[in-house]
Amino acid sequence: MTHTLHRKGTTENLQQDYVIFSMTAKGFNEAGSRGALEKLLRILNKYDVANTGDMKTGNKFIVDKEIIFQNIQDTSIVHAVFTDRNQVAQALKELKEADLGVSVIVSGIVEHVDEACREAGLNRHTVEYSVGIRGNLTKLPEDEILEVTTMCGHGMVSQHLVRQMILDIKRGRWSGQEAAELLATPCVCGVFNPVRAQLLLEELAEIWCCDEV
Amino acid sequence: MQIDASKCVGCGQCRPYCTMGSIKFIRSAKGNKVHCSVNEDECVDCGICQRAGICSTEALFQPLHGWPRSIRGTFSNPLAEHKETRVPGRGTEEMKTNDITGRYQHGYAGMAAEMGRPGTGARMRDIEKVFKALAKLGVEFEVNNPLTGLLINKQTGEMNPEVLDEKVLSAIIEMLIPLDRVVAVLEILENMAEELDTVFSVDLVSRVSEDSSVPTAKIMEKSGKWFSYNGKTNVGLGRLHVKGGISR
Repeated sequence: MTHTLHRKGTTENLQQDYVIFSMTAKGFNEAGSRGALEKLLRILNKYDVANTGDMKTGNKFIVDKEIIFQNIQDTSIVHAVFTDRNQVAQALKELKEADLGVSVIVSGIVEHVDEACREAGLNRHTVEYSVGIRGNLTKLPEDEILEVTTMCGHGMVSQHLVRQMILDIKRGRWSGQEAAELLATPCVCGVFNPVRAQLLLEELAEIWCCDEV
Repeated sequence: MQIDASKCVGCGQCRPYCTMGSIKFIRSAKGNKVHCSVNEDECVDCGICQRAGICSTEALFQPLHGWPRSIRGTFSNPLAEHKETRVPGRGTEEMKTNDITGRYQHGYAGMAAEMGRPGTGARMRDIEKVFKALAKLGVEFEVNNPLTGLLINKQTGEMNPEVLDEKVLSAIIEMLIPLDRVVAVLEILENMAEELDTVFSVDLVSRVSEDSSVPTAKIMEKSGKWFSYNGKTNVGLGRLHVKGGISR
């Protein structure tokens, strides 16, 4: 639930961060839907996706993509992360033509997703906004860390691991890309965007100091 | 989660993976060995330290907990599926299948307070405070949400006292309200800030109007309330008959 909402970022870096995902409704159209969900994920993976996965199996950084496709079940929620809004529009157009009947949801800048829907000839059905964080805000890490950790809505990417990766990049243990892809592994659904994470980590490695966790 | 002290070599590789930062180095009672130890009161049993597969001595292990500790894992581990909803994680299908279920109709808004998110974790005692404040407004809590199932009184927001000390990575208070109550609910949530030892993220759902506008966006703009340019859109491709599926 809401595992792709609340991705924190700037309008600039969120323009490289869109998640298209799909599921069916329990008690309505779930029975026998695995084939349609597989077809959908295969369509999405024709594009240059930064990550993909199914919570039932894992993401592309921990499991071979073909295994993810083959293990899809009626109850799966399948995901693909896009870094280019034009490709989002093209993928939506293709999904419309495929007319699979499964629900399709897109996370990202709402206005851009609206434009992509129009380009694809789709009328949006329902929109969910993030209305921010409330409560005891002193418990939160820095915004820059949140921009990375909130890409896994289940909270599986720890702020401490992000700090460790920044330190490891500085020490030359990992490249920015390797660190970002390592951060993608705890997010089983495959909604973590390692392309965006790499940019954020490399920037932080330049301007931040970190201690051992 | 626990760590077998006899196996742990104290390398600390698991520590940064811990979502709650609750793995520390400690010295054995005799002072002759350093190893890692989990602060079990702070641990939410999300299991990521073990799933990460970084422990070379397989010292991490997840004990099978009984009630009420068992709820930590079912709310915090995204691979755990709630019996009631068959949805993994903390909540329901919410707007993701609204084009099929019609759960959120025109004139209504779905709102949610995702307690403990992002990355802070929340005690049920704090969650109950929010439930009680919202209950005074007479909101309708989502019956299929596993957190609602822990209420012993939906009218007052009182939770089962057995769970109040339990901590979860996050849990979602979901509700359905008429559009004209969105601001009132949001203000109740804003006023809770000083009473809580955690954070929460707020979600706001509505059907798109026939003129393609989003009514909740208009409400937020009119009342001067902040909302993100980022969000989630159900693009309306769902059908009761899925290609290759079994008709209901």
